[in-house]
Amino acid sequence: MTFVVTDNCIQCKYTDCVEVCPVDCFYEGPNMLVIHPDECIDCALCEPECPAAAIVPGDDLNETNAHFLELNAELAQIWPNISERKPALEDAAFWDGRKDKLEQLER
Amino acid sequence: MSKLSTERVLQVHHWNDNLFSFRTTRDPGLRFCNGQFVMLGLEVEGKPLIRAYSVASPNYEEHLEFFSIKVPDGPLTSRLQHLKSGDPIIVSKKPTGSLILDDLLPGKHLYLLATGTGLAPFISVIQDPETYERFDKVILIHGVRYVSELAYADFITQTLPENEFFGQQVREKLIYYPTVTREPFRNQGRLTDLIRSGKLFSDIGLPPADAATDRFMICGSPAMLADSSQLLDQLGFTVSAHIGAPGDYVIERAFVDQ
Repeated sequence: MTFVVTDNCIQCKYTDCVEVCPVDCFYEGPNMLVIHPDECIDCALCEPECPAAAIVPGDDLNETNAHFLELNAELAQIWPNISERKPALEDAAFWDGRKDKLEQLER
Repeated sequence: MSKLSTERVLQVHHWNDNLFSFRTTRDPGLRFCNGQFVMLGLEVEGKPLIRAYSVASPNYEEHLEFFSIKVPDGPLTSRLQHLKSGDPIIVSKKPTGSLILDDLLPGKHLYLLATGTGLAPFISVIQDPETYERFDKVILIHGVRYVSELAYADFITQTLPENEFFGQQVREKLIYYPTVTREPFRNQGRLTDLIRSGKLFSDIGLPPADAATDRFMICGSPAMLADSSQLLDQLGFTVSAHIGAPGDYVIERAFVDQ
């Protein structure tokens, strides 16, 4: 099973997760990161790193966020790989915790 | 995918029919903290087949050492077990992991809890002089099913105490407590049972687990991690929240079980 980046990453993109990933399986869009499900080794290091608590184990997805599994898989094919931490988006603190950010997603 | 380098196997040691260790060359640019893991594997049909492996050697050695199980139909271990000196092997260039001294709050006693090949990161940690500078006692507890699975026992009890640089600290501070579950041995039973019953502490002559003075590093199967974490939480210990946030204990999954 893979870990999955969910809604609360959008507009924040803290990238703390990238620093600890042993396989560099994060991919970067304009305002969100995703995990490549075929590359994630399920080591669980990234989950507690995320200041926005946006990363969840695939097994823990529920009906409100299950669609993020497919979204991660899809966008990981398109977006470039990210292997080093960088500053969060400027308004990350403002957006952290806001509901239903999916409509803000830039592809 | 992270950057990979190709190293060479230097030597292989088979402990029994299902466990072995091997040494490889080390990229001079590879820096790691004792206790961390890398991705390791072989090229199969033109693609890297890699899994997470804790580095068992300390970070001042020029080689890398790894400790692995062999599973007849395991995609990687079925191939790895046939490694011989001179073979190429893939090692990632990005070590990571949570079993590091810096993520533990100061304390008196450091308990290293391992089952099976979860011992590997602690073989690195007990060769780090810093470990003995930070703690008065270092207790390595290795739980296995059969006596023949007590890999590194001679290294821990005979080689390490003779180390020319920190052998004296090892003799004064390191306590090795192997325990076996499926056949007779001087220590028997599961790690969590030995802690809960207090038998571990009476056997080694230390007071029962106390969050004020004791620190734990834990590496084993997901079930063993869950049991151990639950027990420590009940005893008032607080887990390190994430890498860089020190706590009373740290945990890591022992990755390869097939």
